[in-house]
Amino acid sequence: MLHHRGPDDEGAHTDGSTGVSIGMRRLSIIDVEGGHQPICNEDRSVWVVCNGEIYNHPRLRAELRQRGHRFATGSDTEVLVHLYEEYGEDLVQALDGMFAFALWDELRGRLLLARDRFGEKPLFVHEHDGELMFASELTALLHAKPGLRQLDPAAIDAFFVFAYVPGPGTIVPGVRQLPPGHLLSWQRDGSHCHQRAWWRASDELLAPQEPFQSVLAETRRLFEESVAARMISDVPLGVFLSGGVDSTLVAIAAAKASSKRLQTFTVGYDVGSVSETAQARRTAAYLDSEHHEVTLTERDVAERTPALLAGIDQPLADRALLPLNLLSEFARPRVTVALGGEGADELFGGYPRYRWLERSTRAEAALGPAAARSLGALLRGGADRAGRGQRAARRLAPAPLLERNLDWVTAERRRVRQQLYGPRLAGVGAAQVLSDLGARAGELPLRGRSDGKATVRWLMHLDQVDYLPDDVLFKTDRAGMLASLEIRTVFLNRELADFAASLDTSAHLAGGGKAILRAMLPEGVLDTRRLGRYRKTAFRVPAADWLRGPLAPVLRAQLEHGVLYAEGYFEREAARMLVGEHLSGGHDHSDQLWPLLALGLWADRFCGLDGS
Amino acid sequence: MAARPLQSTGKPRLLILTPDYPPAPGGIQLVSERLAAGIDGFRTLVLALEEPGAAEFDRSRTTVIRRVRAPRLPHAGRLALLNAHALREALRFRPDVTLSMHLVASPAAAAIKQALGVPVAQYFHAEEIGARPRLAAFAAAHADRAIAVSSYTAGLVRATGATTASISVIPNGVDLPLDATPEPVDRPTFVTVARIQERYKGHDVLVRALALVRAKVPDVQWLVIGDGSLRPVLEALVRSYGVEDSVRFLGSVSDEERNAWLRRTHLLAMPSRLPAGGFAGEGFGIVYLEAGAYGKPVVAGNVGGALDAILDGVTGLLVDPLDQLAVAEAITALLLDPALARRLGAAGRRRAEEHAWPLIVARVQSVLLGLLAR
Repeated sequence: MLHHRGPDDEGAHTDGSTGVSIGMRRLSIIDVEGGHQPICNEDRSVWVVCNGEIYNHPRLRAELRQRGHRFATGSDTEVLVHLYEEYGEDLVQALDGMFAFALWDELRGRLLLARDRFGEKPLFVHEHDGELMFASELTALLHAKPGLRQLDPAAIDAFFVFAYVPGPGTIVPGVRQLPPGHLLSWQRDGSHCHQRAWWRASDELLAPQEPFQSVLAETRRLFEESVAARMISDVPLGVFLSGGVDSTLVAIAAAKASSKRLQTFTVGYDVGSVSETAQARRTAAYLDSEHHEVTLTERDVAERTPALLAGIDQPLADRALLPLNLLSEFARPRVTVALGGEGADELFGGYPRYRWLERSTRAEAALGPAAARSLGALLRGGADRAGRGQRAARRLAPAPLLERNLDWVTAERRRVRQQLYGPRLAGVGAAQVLSDLGARAGELPLRGRSDGKATVRWLMHLDQVDYLPDDVLFKTDRAGMLASLEIRTVFLNRELADFAASLDTSAHLAGGGKAILRAMLPEGVLDTRRLGRYRKTAFRVPAADWLRGPLAPVLRAQLEHGVLYAEGYFEREAARMLVGEHLSGGHDHSDQLWPLLALGLWADRFCGLDGS
Repeated sequence: MAARPLQSTGKPRLLILTPDYPPAPGGIQLVSERLAAGIDGFRTLVLALEEPGAAEFDRSRTTVIRRVRAPRLPHAGRLALLNAHALREALRFRPDVTLSMHLVASPAAAAIKQALGVPVAQYFHAEEIGARPRLAAFAAAHADRAIAVSSYTAGLVRATGATTASISVIPNGVDLPLDATPEPVDRPTFVTVARIQERYKGHDVLVRALALVRAKVPDVQWLVIGDGSLRPVLEALVRSYGVEDSVRFLGSVSDEERNAWLRRTHLLAMPSRLPAGGFAGEGFGIVYLEAGAYGKPVVAGNVGGALDAILDGVTGLLVDPLDQLAVAEAITALLLDPALARRLGAAGRRRAEEHAWPLIVARVQSVLLGLLAR
């Protein structure tokens, strides 16, 4: 069932005396021949399976050799067993990479599970009555233990609001995710099962005053080192180029670090006004890369969407999943690894929302609490009106920052959900998503309510620990893995992330956002008139057009037969009205319809599996 | 019959121009003070900036110190005043040599040279060269002799393009303690002594290294001496890696207190790196020698001024300052191998003795006397 993650190889190790078993399927990137897993140490007492990539494995290997460790393979995974012998569970501190691994220490009877800092690679865990199961995908656990196949209404509610399943929970009640930057150690005799964070993204407000030029120089150094480390590969490698700042920087650095001509890939559409292909083409010409372009046609959308949204192991309504998956498949015959710019927006302040919410926080403080409350009531008065102006007014209306941010990123879906929810979701408390989000966000470190910098810092941190792993990286991993292609993120590097988090927020937001990264661009590469004020462009998608065109039949079929409606999770008539309004062209309801579609297709497959 | 000296008063006159002078703390302040106090072949006048506590400090010294009063001016304005006063003082004092301790005094030194024909010796440290490359080129071009605190700094001076300057490499000196007896330490300990002001000192790499050192030396403690605007950044990083239990921030401390900590540590670690983007890093790293003076081995970056201060494998371990693993392994090796630490520490002590202030002052004085003879 995990064949798509690793088409090249498979292997398993079972400890006969204890019944402890680890296994894997492999997509071979480094030491294609010798990297068969599980891998063990010299005396076969430590075994490991690892999903992902340890970028600094050449350096680690050299150090370990010097300390007398003998290597049997050239695989990056093998450094884990020897590092474990040196550092125990602190071995994670030595790693630069994206990984989820399981390590079995036969002598101590101890299992160690660990997940990378940012949550690039998934790790699902089921723990019950002394029993521990884990896998890279939820689906594998459900196959192993069919009793787990139940839907969690609270998770469905959270999914509809967020458009992804927020961690550390999952869509089923009995399975959770090991959070990013965590490890879990489990003792065979059941005496010990302990989970702890080994790295936490800093959420502190720091405002060191440093010259912009030295900040820029340090960012450039860290970035180029990260690119170089991620270009170590025994298989062909390319860059996904979207036309935006991040992927352009990645492509420039990769071209600089590469001895061969760089391969770049981009995706365009045959409908809508959104297209980044022209800019990507200009960048490719500047780099003299071997550029490949694929068009996601309406026909592709009709053919691919149902299988993709249904086949992914947890539901995801990130619209960019579709183009990213097509791009991965398109690139796969030419390259096995692609570099991507994921994480740059979260680390370097790329979302315009930060600035707007900062301003409105300051304005609210200037008004004073009483005036702010009345203004808030006035602006929110038109909650049932869906016009753009009304929506913008509500976004900026005084309200707790957490709610304002939630409504902004989720297109206010929590305000319309009650009309759509059926009896199965009736029991979910309306306030639960908000309180769960509050728990994930942590306390807002406001020194004074008017502190705009604290607001920005807090929002950036929330995105880094919530949206980034559970939406962006989930999408990136699955889009690539479903095509058996590895996407390596260049910005998600520990030193770069630590550095970015330590900067004054104004260094990030100056001049309209992502100031440092924009300053790193060479003159004239991107169309500066278009970028005069920074605009987000990364893989934007004409979703409203698709829902009216190639996906309209799927929407209609969902209404007729989908389990969401048949099983009473959502109200069919309310959904039918939304679909009708959208298809007639009078309204754009894609913000609600896309999550419904993604969840509906996924749930049909899930419940089919369930046999219900 | 031997020739008699022309003047019976004997000594030639030395004008030391410095923006940085005690009681303010800092490396350049210290060098300026040790030279002014130690050079005995000249009649010396120090021209420095007025600052809080200066009058009291100056009264306690035998050195003649003039202070330029520049109340309520921004730093640049104070420097301009220093330069303006320098020429006036020079006309009165009639120096035979001018010693400029910092780039920012070089315009005055050049003016004095032009007006009175007085030769100039110009000190170069490191950081200031990257910060003011054009002024550095000017200073090098107008100096009769450049004094660089390390071969790394000499390279930076040459890189300004001023090929005419002849450069003497004279490291900074160290005060040897009368009593360097170590004191017992209850935990495996390493210390860092540096302002937490610039990122290149390597505090960040030490946090990441500490996370690995702890795996092999669970009760290790890191003493962080120094303060600065990046301290909150460092504290946040410590929390990010979950190593709070192993770190003690001691803040800015007096020399006596610092020395007390140097007695109570197993080693000093400061993996300074070259800052990105061509900014200069550690000029010499006097703190490495100060640790040596207490018989303590050091872990440092294998770049910049540290290459002169430390003999790799003899007085300390030089490693790639960006390589967390290498830094961690060097610290761990010294903590777990007391014989190695002792051997390197003893060699460090001998190296410090070679850098005792009286020896360094004599070298600078001989450079200055050399300028007289021309």
